Amino acid sequence: MENTETAGASAPAPAGAVVEPVLELSGVKKRFGGVVALNGVSFSLRPGEVHALVGENGAGKSTLIKILCGIIQRDAGSITLGGEAYDPHTPGDAKKAGIQVVHQEFNLLPYLSVAENICFEDMPRKAFGMVDFRTLYEKARKALDAIGLGDVDVRRPVESLGVAHRQLVEIARALMGESRILILDEPTATLTARETERLFQIIAALKAKGVAVVFVSHHLNEVFSICDRVTVLRNGESVMTADIAATTTDQLVTNMVGRQLAAAMAASRDLDTGGRTALSLRNLRHPASPHAEGVSFDLRYGEILGIAGLVGSGRTELLRSIFAADLPLSGTLERDGQPRRYSNPKQAIRDGIGFVTEDRKEEGLILDMAIAANVTLASLRKVSRLGLLNKREETRLAQQLGGEIKLKYGNTADPVSTLSGGNQQKVVLAKWLANNPKILLLDEPTRGVDVGAKAEIYALLRGLSEKGLALLIVSSELPELITLSDRILVMSKHRIAGEVAREDFSEERILNFAYKDERNHGHH
Amino acid sequence: MDTTDLTTAPAGSKTIATTTKTVLREAGIGIALIALIIVFSFTPHFLSSSNVTNILTQVTINLVLSIGMTFVILIGGIDLSVGSVLSFCAVVAGTVMTLPGLDPAVAVFLATISAIVAGIGFGLLNGLISAWWAIPSFIVTLGTLNIARGAALQVTNASTIYSFPAAFNAFGSQTFYGIPLLFLIALVLVAIGWFVLTKTVFGRVLYGIGNNEEAARLAGHNVFFYKVAAFTICGVLVGIGAIIYMARLNIASPIIGIGFELNAIAAVIIGGTSLSGGRGSVVGTLLGACIIGVLANGLILLGLSDFMRQMITGFVIILAVILDKYRERLTKA
Repeated sequence: MENTETAGASAPAPAGAVVEPVLELSGVKKRFGGVVALNGVSFSLRPGEVHALVGENGAGKSTLIKILCGIIQRDAGSITLGGEAYDPHTPGDAKKAGIQVVHQEFNLLPYLSVAENICFEDMPRKAFGMVDFRTLYEKARKALDAIGLGDVDVRRPVESLGVAHRQLVEIARALMGESRILILDEPTATLTARETERLFQIIAALKAKGVAVVFVSHHLNEVFSICDRVTVLRNGESVMTADIAATTTDQLVTNMVGRQLAAAMAASRDLDTGGRTALSLRNLRHPASPHAEGVSFDLRYGEILGIAGLVGSGRTELLRSIFAADLPLSGTLERDGQPRRYSNPKQAIRDGIGFVTEDRKEEGLILDMAIAANVTLASLRKVSRLGLLNKREETRLAQQLGGEIKLKYGNTADPVSTLSGGNQQKVVLAKWLANNPKILLLDEPTRGVDVGAKAEIYALLRGLSEKGLALLIVSSELPELITLSDRILVMSKHRIAGEVAREDFSEERILNFAYKDERNHGHH
Repeated sequence: MDTTDLTTAPAGSKTIATTTKTVLREAGIGIALIALIIVFSFTPHFLSSSNVTNILTQVTINLVLSIGMTFVILIGGIDLSVGSVLSFCAVVAGTVMTLPGLDPAVAVFLATISAIVAGIGFGLLNGLISAWWAIPSFIVTLGTLNIARGAALQVTNASTIYSFPAAFNAFGSQTFYGIPLLFLIALVLVAIGWFVLTKTVFGRVLYGIGNNEEAARLAGHNVFFYKVAAFTICGVLVGIGAIIYMARLNIASPIIGIGFELNAIAAVIIGGTSLSGGRGSVVGTLLGACIIGVLANGLILLGLSDFMRQMITGFVIILAVILDKYRERLTKA
């Protein structure tokens, strides 16, 4: 194991001497009990720049943002805002100081209207404290139009919006206040390519007005396309700050992980098309699907089949209807050539199917329970007799699988919430592997997972398919699908819009299929 | 252990930390109970054997109901109907027990069975309705609270049933070395509850559902079954509680058990079980029920009125939840 310590590689560019930074942090530290979250972060933000903050999960990005917006307080170090000491004790302090944040988790009020959400911090009032709805709707309309959401009715309750639209509403809300600094925490995680493009235009406009933007992202290509400078955090320390033009992806990744990444990301695959058909769908239709024809395809043993498509194209719904998490409306499903009709996930699991869900915190894990208990959650029969748990056997199984998937943990009795995102995702995988599945459905298998763990998960998935498992992978990251898949199906409006064979893989080709329906729509 | 390729980080220290944390939860409540006992032991009579017997007798019924309540609260539910259902079970059992021409032993046996069956009936009703239509159990059991009370009044025509077999009454006041037999039965039920929740697959899945219902469902568990089962278990314990009540007080009346559900919920909460489900234990509930019992008895010995006692119990419930917040913060760090 070699550590390439390239701390503080490129010093601030000459321009730094001219422009006074609007925000300056030095030596900021924060501990939670015995855990050091930040161990000396220095960071400076100039007016009108887009500054990327990158680092693996657990590097301290979220902690830093929480300190800046007054949710938690630092233990040591200094922060100056516009030359004055800045020490926010509540999120309100931060807002007053002109720091607006769009958090990774949604903070919207689902049963209130879009307009009420946007103006929640400063509701227009009439006499006796009554809400001035006309002004409210006007202000909200203007805010949405400004970010190009002209098609969303401000009276709609937020719960009726899709995730991507919610994210944009969240941004509109942040922009309502007077902002000197806008912090965006993983803003593109739920956005499609088109919406991301729209967001980038908004950022460019803000930048032109002199607003400084802190952009937190796992997507380095985004960092390179819109940011001016970048700061890398690793283990709670700022290890590098550089002008974007003066750095490379490799340099950033090296600094993020502190070691050279294995070439795992780019390994090629031998196509094995000889496998028998494991799963065959004919016109399978999820209740939310507008089209009666549904989805049809075959999945073979040993194959990794990728599913691409925009957010809302029915990818998650497809997996859920295969697994009977939602019951399909119509259509047939054959498993090893035998027709099946699962009426609940239990039957799908017994039939050798596992489902790694999109949202591990909501659907995949029981966060407060032990790692071992999470690993065996879907295979409790294996570690019990006559309904009695055999804890020793459970621990053994958890340790064995933990070893196979290279899980980094302290003890299998620790709550799974103590693990990092990547390791949590591995626990979800282990839960299904404990069942020796024949088919694995994976929905966004590396969302919110850092670069190092991502490579490990890729290697793991490849290994599984080499062992003969059939994998069906939904992902919004095209490079991920292109790296992993033998074949990619592109979904659009709950149908298969096209199929791309490995030799024809290209982002352009896939996106063409994904946008096919949208474009036809535009011509009407 | 032949798992050589483990990537275990320094394990030893963390193992100890984790186990202490889990034990800490119950230990904290235990310490509170011991502290209370020490404080009250300065009053005369508190530790006298007759008073200890008295306290344990007072605790028994609430403890039995609280065990069932723990199961329901663990899956994120609540059962407001237990007091009324207890009275319904009691009048059913009382009616059976006083049927003319029955051998006393047979009468008591049949009465016990009928009380438990009545409890199961209401438990099933609560569980099935709330699980099938996904109605909050707060509302469903608010409904069955009224149904059971009305049914009890209807069945008895609002009259009280008494004159049970002499042996049954004697059984209710039996003690072993000053410990009431009924309390020992409650302790056995605690042990069974503890075993089911910590040692069985059933218990594990209950915790799982309480923590994250969707994750449990997607892992192939029949959430509907477990929810109904939790309420049914609660019903069984209400049935047993009804028999214990009759054995102790020698009556069965449609107006008994008012407010019992709140005492049971209080014991569960003081015992450290989270109202949102997924966290807690029957051992904590045992300690919680004892705290309520000791507090009630000790405050009366101190010469405080029953009204004052009620106020102080109220404060203790709130205090327990506040302390739990701090404990949570401690374990999270």
